[in-house]
Amino acid sequence: MKKANLISGFTSGLVTGIILVFLFLIGFIETGAGLLSKLFGDPVATNTLPKLGYVVLFLALLAVWSGASTAKKIHPERFSQIISPVLINGAVLGLVTALLALIFGNYVKAGVDVRNYLVAVSPASIKMLMLNMAEPAQAALALLGLMTAATFLGALIYFVWNRRLSVGVKRTVSSKLGTVRQSQLVDLIRRPIARYIALGGAVVLFIFLPRVWGSYWNYVMGTVGIYILLGIGLNIITGWTGQLVIGYVSFFGIGAYTFALLTAPDPHGIMMNFWLALLIAVAVSALVGFLIGLPILNLRGDYLAIVTLGFAEIVRILLKSDLLTAFTGGPRGIRDIGGPTLFGMDINSDVNFIYLIFLMVFLIAFIANRLQRSRTGRGWEAIREDQTVAKATGINTFSSKLLALTLSAAVAGLAGVLFASRNQFTGPEDHILLVSINVICLMIVGGVGNIPGIIIGALALKGLPEILREVSNFRMLAFGALLVMMMLIRPEGFLPARRPNMKNPADQDPQEKAEEGV
Amino acid sequence: MKKLNRKTLRTLHVIGKYGRWTVGIALALFLTWRIYQVLFVQQAFTPDTWLRFALSGLILGGMYALIAIGYTLVYGIMFMINFAHGEVMMIGAFCCYFIFEILRFIPAPIAGNPELVFLNAHPILSILIAFLVGMTVSGFSGYFLEKIAYRPLRHAPRLILLITAIGASIFLQNAAMLLFGPQRKNIVNPEILDRTAGWTIQVAGKPVLISYTGAFSLILSAVLMIGLYLLVQKTKLGRSMRAVAQDQDSAALMGVDVNRVVSQTFIISGILAGAAGVMWGIHMGLVNHITGSLPGIKAFTAAVLGGVGNIPGAMLGGMSLGVIESIGPALLGIDFQLKDVIAFLTLIIVLIIRPSGILGEKLTEEKL
Repeated sequence: MKKANLISGFTSGLVTGIILVFLFLIGFIETGAGLLSKLFGDPVATNTLPKLGYVVLFLALLAVWSGASTAKKIHPERFSQIISPVLINGAVLGLVTALLALIFGNYVKAGVDVRNYLVAVSPASIKMLMLNMAEPAQAALALLGLMTAATFLGALIYFVWNRRLSVGVKRTVSSKLGTVRQSQLVDLIRRPIARYIALGGAVVLFIFLPRVWGSYWNYVMGTVGIYILLGIGLNIITGWTGQLVIGYVSFFGIGAYTFALLTAPDPHGIMMNFWLALLIAVAVSALVGFLIGLPILNLRGDYLAIVTLGFAEIVRILLKSDLLTAFTGGPRGIRDIGGPTLFGMDINSDVNFIYLIFLMVFLIAFIANRLQRSRTGRGWEAIREDQTVAKATGINTFSSKLLALTLSAAVAGLAGVLFASRNQFTGPEDHILLVSINVICLMIVGGVGNIPGIIIGALALKGLPEILREVSNFRMLAFGALLVMMMLIRPEGFLPARRPNMKNPADQDPQEKAEEGV
Repeated sequence: MKKLNRKTLRTLHVIGKYGRWTVGIALALFLTWRIYQVLFVQQAFTPDTWLRFALSGLILGGMYALIAIGYTLVYGIMFMINFAHGEVMMIGAFCCYFIFEILRFIPAPIAGNPELVFLNAHPILSILIAFLVGMTVSGFSGYFLEKIAYRPLRHAPRLILLITAIGASIFLQNAAMLLFGPQRKNIVNPEILDRTAGWTIQVAGKPVLISYTGAFSLILSAVLMIGLYLLVQKTKLGRSMRAVAQDQDSAALMGVDVNRVVSQTFIISGILAGAAGVMWGIHMGLVNHITGSLPGIKAFTAAVLGGVGNIPGAMLGGMSLGVIESIGPALLGIDFQLKDVIAFLTLIIVLIIRPSGILGEKLTEEKL
């Protein structure tokens, strides 16, 4: 038992050490310390390093986290139990840090610039890691002490918090919250009137906010809206019908390009009316979805995913190629795409455009919601749960899936139209595979099969990164890591779809019944 | 109204069923006509050019095959598309770059040439070190990838696993970009493996260069593939891998440690991808963070082409994809920019006409 504790201390130290080395090598220690500095109301000027204190604080916080997690793993009853594992943890972490400072410190001393190989490790950032000391050995010792002490502190904080404070407070808080949630809150939310109030509030908000928050926010929220549309569309085929589509972006691209070719002056000069072009673009996307589904959808498994993946790549490469330059504008894309008009008036200011996007989101969300509860929608869900059973109950699985794919492609086409029209430009780089990966991810993050979940997912995935502009270099890295962590910790998403209760109420455990609050 | 609707749908179903063959035959006719045009009417290329295309296709195909085996092994066992596999290959290519860079700066002076460096003094040893390090690091990446990201999700739905793989792929790609920078890096080979040197043979009176790096990659990938085939067919590890691929639960009941076998599968596929990465580095000479993504997708395509879950299929699929990709544009007389289009179109056509892939067994509808 005790040996296991020591080993877990060692591993924790090693893992944190590796994380620290990685953060240093990608240059995140500077950024992290800068963020801390900003948090304390002391923003760092561009091209300067944060103050020493914040660097120390950042390193120490990492060590505190490491120590606390070791202590948590052990479930200590007495403090003496965690002393030696935590000391080992701190020592390992400190040694790794010290080694890092020693190695790179000597490079700086020898005048070697390692930026040829590790772009983020500038001499200044090494100096910063060495806590502005001149001698690498001295810095290494200081770091060893700092990290060990901070780890110990972390364990101490965890122990005290866990022992003295939490036991009583936690219990009362949780029991109080529990009763409130059980009785009043749920009833309040589940009442239809609450839904109408929320909807009304949202509408009022959506009417007023775009006028207030400026063009940058309109742009961001417009992007979010377009991704919500994409999410709802993909949800029809993937979330409800259970058929994975990886190359969803191809329908988006086809919608955008069809619209662009019909309304832009450059390659063909058709300059069609917005609404007519929108309808045609949506129809073309739907047709392409239909044609792709025709030969593929009576197969099972991942074939649709693979075929659409290949198709998306084909579309992107063709759009970029010289072969179609005369027809689609080639790598330069299409400019001056037409904006929406209403009775002859242009309504393409950014405020009007965001109204249009919100309107479309409401419309599509409403249609999708009605579809889900219809006979067709229930058929889709049956196919997702078990295709053989669905077939046996009389659902034509092939045509149901084909319908789902066609509708889903149509929604993607609509999103593409809005995207192209808002940006007044579209090019091959707007339709890379990453877009469809983003859409799959936002659907999963929000909760598969659930429209409010998709909205939250779109806000989290497309809205948040826009806010976190400072860490823009690290955005995609954090995105990948978060995706993995999300799947490990909460695979059903933030707002999981409510599954129908299959149990016969008569068979149900009385206790279970009480818990469900029926 | 409703009845009519049903009838239409029924017709569609029939079209989907038989349309497959119609499309296939029409396509075959078109292709034959087009190839006839290019080969006999236009006579666009001379035989030596064709040989050159075929050679570069085979070399590329060897690397695709190695990566495709990794996809197939993992798919066979876990039914997941390991999207991060291309990134494991990129790690191998980076290992090659760093090993060669380090060895380039270690002096190994001999009498008569005081400026000689280790890389050129012991080229075979250097290449061996590069392969060993590349394969080890990639094998470990595969192992840790499985252990950290996939193992906790062993019984999760496939969609969840796929998202995790996509997340891991994005993470690894961006980590490489932040660590080593976005620009492409030149890999300096030992002098004996100069990329422009090679044997020259005469074809129809014109010289065709078979580069040393190309021959080396092709032979090595063949050796590795034979080795893997023997491993899967003859050893106990291979037998347990096949057992787990067939039925996880029964294999567990027969005393196979499933977790261990899955780990070993990931290590093996990582090692093969690492070898492919080092070869890529030696033959192509350029590496950056997106080195792995397109070969990754292509290799997956190759795995599906040959019949997913089938190892000889992956080899055949990789080789044929490489050759199709390099000969295809010339054969059809279209732009070389479109070689990826041809690769993916082949995939789609094969899937439509023969969904189980070239070598895949005829699957029951349940498995499809």
